[in-house]
Amino acid sequence: MANVTLTNVAKRFGAFEVVHGANIDIRDGEFVVFVGPSGCGKSTLLRMIAGLEDISGGEIAIGGKVVNDVEPADRGIAMVFQSYALYPHMSVEQNLSFGLRMTGNPKADTDRRVKRAAEILRISELMERRPKKLSGGQRQRVAIGRAIVREPQVFLFDEPLSNLDAELRVQMRVEISRLHKELGTTMIYVTHDQTEAMTLADRIVVLRAGHVEQIGRPLDLYDNPDNIFVAGFVGSPRMNFIKAHIAGRDAKGVLVELAGEEKTRIVQPLAGPAPETGSTVIVGVRPEHFGGAGEGDADLTVAIDVVEHLGGTSFLYARTAHGEDVVIQRDAARVPQTSEVTVSIRKSYLFDEKGLRLR
Amino acid sequence: MRNRNATAYRFLTPYLLIFAIFWVWPIISSFMISFQATRTVPWRFAPGFNWGRLIGDPAFFNALKNTLLILVIQVPAMIALAMLMAVLLNSPLLKARGLYRFAFFAPVVVGEVAYSAVFRLMFSLDFGIVNKLLNSIGLPKIDWFSNVTPAMALIMIAVTWRWAGYNAIILLAGMQSIPEDVYEAATLDRVSKLKQFFYITLPLLKPVIVFCAVLSIIGTMQLFTEPFLITERGGPGGGTETLGLLLYRQGFRSLNFGYASAVAYTMAGLAIAITLVQLWLTREPK
Ligand SMILES: Nc1ncnc2c1ncn2[C@@H]1O[C@H](COP(=O)(O)OP(=O)(O)OP(=O)(O)O)[C@@H](O)[C@H]1O
Ligand SMILES: [Mg+2]
Repeated sequence: MANVTLTNVAKRFGAFEVVHGANIDIRDGEFVVFVGPSGCGKSTLLRMIAGLEDISGGEIAIGGKVVNDVEPADRGIAMVFQSYALYPHMSVEQNLSFGLRMTGNPKADTDRRVKRAAEILRISELMERRPKKLSGGQRQRVAIGRAIVREPQVFLFDEPLSNLDAELRVQMRVEISRLHKELGTTMIYVTHDQTEAMTLADRIVVLRAGHVEQIGRPLDLYDNPDNIFVAGFVGSPRMNFIKAHIAGRDAKGVLVELAGEEKTRIVQPLAGPAPETGSTVIVGVRPEHFGGAGEGDADLTVAIDVVEHLGGTSFLYARTAHGEDVVIQRDAARVPQTSEVTVSIRKSYLFDEKGLRLR
Repeated sequence: MRNRNATAYRFLTPYLLIFAIFWVWPIISSFMISFQATRTVPWRFAPGFNWGRLIGDPAFFNALKNTLLILVIQVPAMIALAMLMAVLLNSPLLKARGLYRFAFFAPVVVGEVAYSAVFRLMFSLDFGIVNKLLNSIGLPKIDWFSNVTPAMALIMIAVTWRWAGYNAIILLAGMQSIPEDVYEAATLDRVSKLKQFFYITLPLLKPVIVFCAVLSIIGTMQLFTEPFLITERGGPGGGTETLGLLLYRQGFRSLNFGYASAVAYTMAGLAIAITLVQLWLTREPK
């Protein structure tokens, strides 16, 4: 078991820099998820930790030891690939034992490890089959099994569930969570699915275009995003962003006026310096933070376009008078029958023009 | 649906006709000719005449022995060489990859006569560059064309030179279809590059290797150009005569079509038999 420390880690492909000085500190036994949109550098970061990509700048340490120049096999890591990367011409049993056999591990020990991994992942009945004859979920188990057999200090997962259907994905998610509890090993998990990140992670690292945007526990990111990107990325459906400007200030904080809604004013307490009156800001409201008329800070009347019924809750897709799209979450019983509805903003976040959180 | 099939067949008719006349008919016809005595006019039906001669003909067995000898030495050697070339072409360390790929493939498109002439020059006793090179490193000259063993070696070298690059390109295509992450997984599993080659690349490439082997076996069974042009019609003294040459000699020099047909069928039969054995030996385990 080991902690993993990234210090100013950078990656360049030729002159093109794709990771810009990432600083991430992963504690021993922690489950950390790297999340971000496609192309943001998650896989690159993971592959640098694994040693499959050179490190262009900075330092990576595993278990307190700098591994920049350590061979991948000597870093004490095991990786599960998105495409599984099973050896197609070998049976499940051979897939699990291949690495150990090739390096002359004693046979009794190899057998013990393979047997244990097969039991943990419940694939004992599949041992004689070739990968071609396995379902997607079974292949994924074998790929994880191959990682377990190595008894690594750190597990690396690169979007391991993205080739599975929705139902299987949920099931495997639970199993990976269980695995982490059982083994207690440090795990680093890459995904672009924020739900996976929220449900699996002890801590989430949100990445965008090669920058670390925020690191924190799932609920901290949800409740307290540092910027508009994290706010929009965490939570589903995503946070609504409404243009506004600073209308003045009073004893409790700044007065924010939504664009085109002279009467809708929100009072935001600010600890830091307040922006000047008249400057443009963005108000973020999560769909679940809209209430009935008069229940919150300020009321807002919107025109309903579409209603999506999911059973217990519903989502109203609506537009403000100023023409901005918003998504509102409502109990199914409280969905209005009219084409217009007045809602209140119960909780909101304030961002400056550049997208940084004002608080 | 039926109607559409009929239309398709009508469009195919010209091709099918030509195929039947110039392909199917000669195959059937030569099969029948192999049962006729063709040294007399008119030809007469005599089943044992050619086939009987074949099993007792020293010239046939000489040609068969030469052909099989070339087959068992040249084909494996060439495929091993082709594999080496493919690994080289696939290596990320290689610079000017396109140039090498072209160079490896070029022999296939060079005219047979031109290439044979160049080989004759290169291996000539007194002026050839090969003997000069041998001399310069202190080895004796070899008279490539007047002794059977060097002549056979020369044929094998020539055929290998001509086709190794072709096979390398096919093997390279096979190698490139093996996903990179399988090797990455093996690297993390602490499996050395050499072991990765023997335990991952080779097994996964097996179907492609078998394909190359089958193509090469069929090609070598019909070997003709090299012994005809380079060692001058199977010289010295029939020492490099192959089945293809024997067939040519019987059919086109002696105009003994019956016997030539019997030889042709033997060649085809052998090629099929060897290929089947090969496929059976390398079949996928169930
Ligand atoms: N070998 C390479 N050469 C050049 N650029 C590369 C290479 N590999 C990745 N990149 C670039 O690096 C950036 C990050 O890629 P990376 O694969 O890490 O993204 P990702 O976050 O894993 O995305 P996804 O969710 O689609 O897997 C991308 O812009 C990509 O084009
Ligand atoms: Mg990726």
